[in-house]
Amino acid sequence: MKRSKLIFQSIALITLAVAFILFWNFSKGIPSVENGFASDEVTTDSYSDLHESLYRMLPVLVGSILFSVAIAFYLEEWIAETSWKYQIIAQQIAILSGIPSLIYGLLGIYFFVFKTEKGAVFTHAITFVLLVVPITVQSTQKAIRDVDIFVREAAFALGAKRWRVVVDHVLPDAFPAIVAGICTAISRALAIAALIIVVYIWRIHTPQSGEAFNIPGSVIVLLSSALLSSILSSLLEKKTNLY
Amino acid sequence: METNNHSIETENLNLWYGDFQALIDVSVNIPAGKITSLIGPSGCGKTTLLRCFNRVNERYGNVTTKGEIKILGKNIYDPDVSLLELRKTVGMVFQRPNPLPISVYDNILFGLRIHSPFGSLTRAKSDEIVEEALTSVFLWDDLKDKLKTRATSLQLEQQQKLCIARLLPLKPQIILMDEPCSALDAKGTLAVEELMSVLSGTYTFLIVTHNMAQARRVSTECIYMFLGELIEHRETQALFETPEHPKTADYVQMRYG
Repeated sequence: MKRSKLIFQSIALITLAVAFILFWNFSKGIPSVENGFASDEVTTDSYSDLHESLYRMLPVLVGSILFSVAIAFYLEEWIAETSWKYQIIAQQIAILSGIPSLIYGLLGIYFFVFKTEKGAVFTHAITFVLLVVPITVQSTQKAIRDVDIFVREAAFALGAKRWRVVVDHVLPDAFPAIVAGICTAISRALAIAALIIVVYIWRIHTPQSGEAFNIPGSVIVLLSSALLSSILSSLLEKKTNLY
Repeated sequence: METNNHSIETENLNLWYGDFQALIDVSVNIPAGKITSLIGPSGCGKTTLLRCFNRVNERYGNVTTKGEIKILGKNIYDPDVSLLELRKTVGMVFQRPNPLPISVYDNILFGLRIHSPFGSLTRAKSDEIVEEALTSVFLWDDLKDKLKTRATSLQLEQQQKLCIARLLPLKPQIILMDEPCSALDAKGTLAVEELMSVLSGTYTFLIVTHNMAQARRVSTECIYMFLGELIEHRETQALFETPEHPKTADYVQMRYG
């Protein structure tokens, strides 16, 4: 009884909080949406530049999602889990996905907001790819693994080739889960884009404070500690797998 | 022994999963056009042996096979053997009915579509093939109005029969069955057994079963395996009534297992 009461209370609390946030956002945000975000202070050329470069990331986003799905299928269907190729790719992806998205956000802010010269498109793209690829690969891998082995065996035993099994059965079966994973990745990317926009607006309002704190420095510190911790966790995983 | 009467022959077949040896020097001849059953306690290598015959074992990686397996007189590990052709000749029915998650109609044609050039199957021919396959497993009357339903929504017994039916358009010579009735009730089991005895003669059946009564009912010959070794292979009645090997006697008389 006590437990269900606790659950009820926490649900109520969360609902209230969410309702408050939504109400606050809508009451403040709707007028500016109605104006097409055309508040007088931020309709500068560089603001539309930012939007443009975010839109420019759209093909990169689509490309990196397709790329990640392909990698996941390659890992799960074409090569054995024990092969060195699998080990290397899976290790890299595990390390990359272990990096908190905040780091990418800081990287993005640095490249998008403080270094907005033309040549920076490439670095923007890399930020997006690094953000989206690992998480999509991992969720797709999981979706593929969840496809019933019996379906695969049935098709293989009838003589189907690997690509046929994948295209006819594994892909359709795993599709909903793959899409769900892609949505997570996109929302991650969107959250970061939102962060970038916020910082951008803040910088336009207070330009003198632009380089007030050392973003590249903090990126390096955070990045290396994230790397260290994910290496540590993968080592620990190896240890615990031994028995 | 006349070779031509045997569908499957193995010679000193050894198989390892990594370091674990699952089959030890198995030499066996499976007669053509009859039902042969494989019995033995769990983990004795029955399923492994069965899975060698259409090389589905290889999918699991770290499997090492030594020795010779001849199917219809041809070594299946020869470099010129096509896996597609092998799996066309040697069909397989699994423990859990595993129709593909597509319609009944497409399930039956799935194998054939893989093995025929694109566009060579006309609508009329397909219909004919589906009717023929379903009729031979006694499903036509039940399913003729449900050809477009998803096969996974059928009753288990119908699913398992469908799994047998979808092999038939490929005209296999050998049908491997891995505990085909363990997911079915008594009525379903009886129906599948009946189907097997009707189809034997045209096809060679090799069936793995935990159910000794079933082995006795359906098979002509019976093989007893224990810890990866083939202990005894004789006519079913003889194996059950006068087992030669003490280990077989222990098992069939339920002192072990």
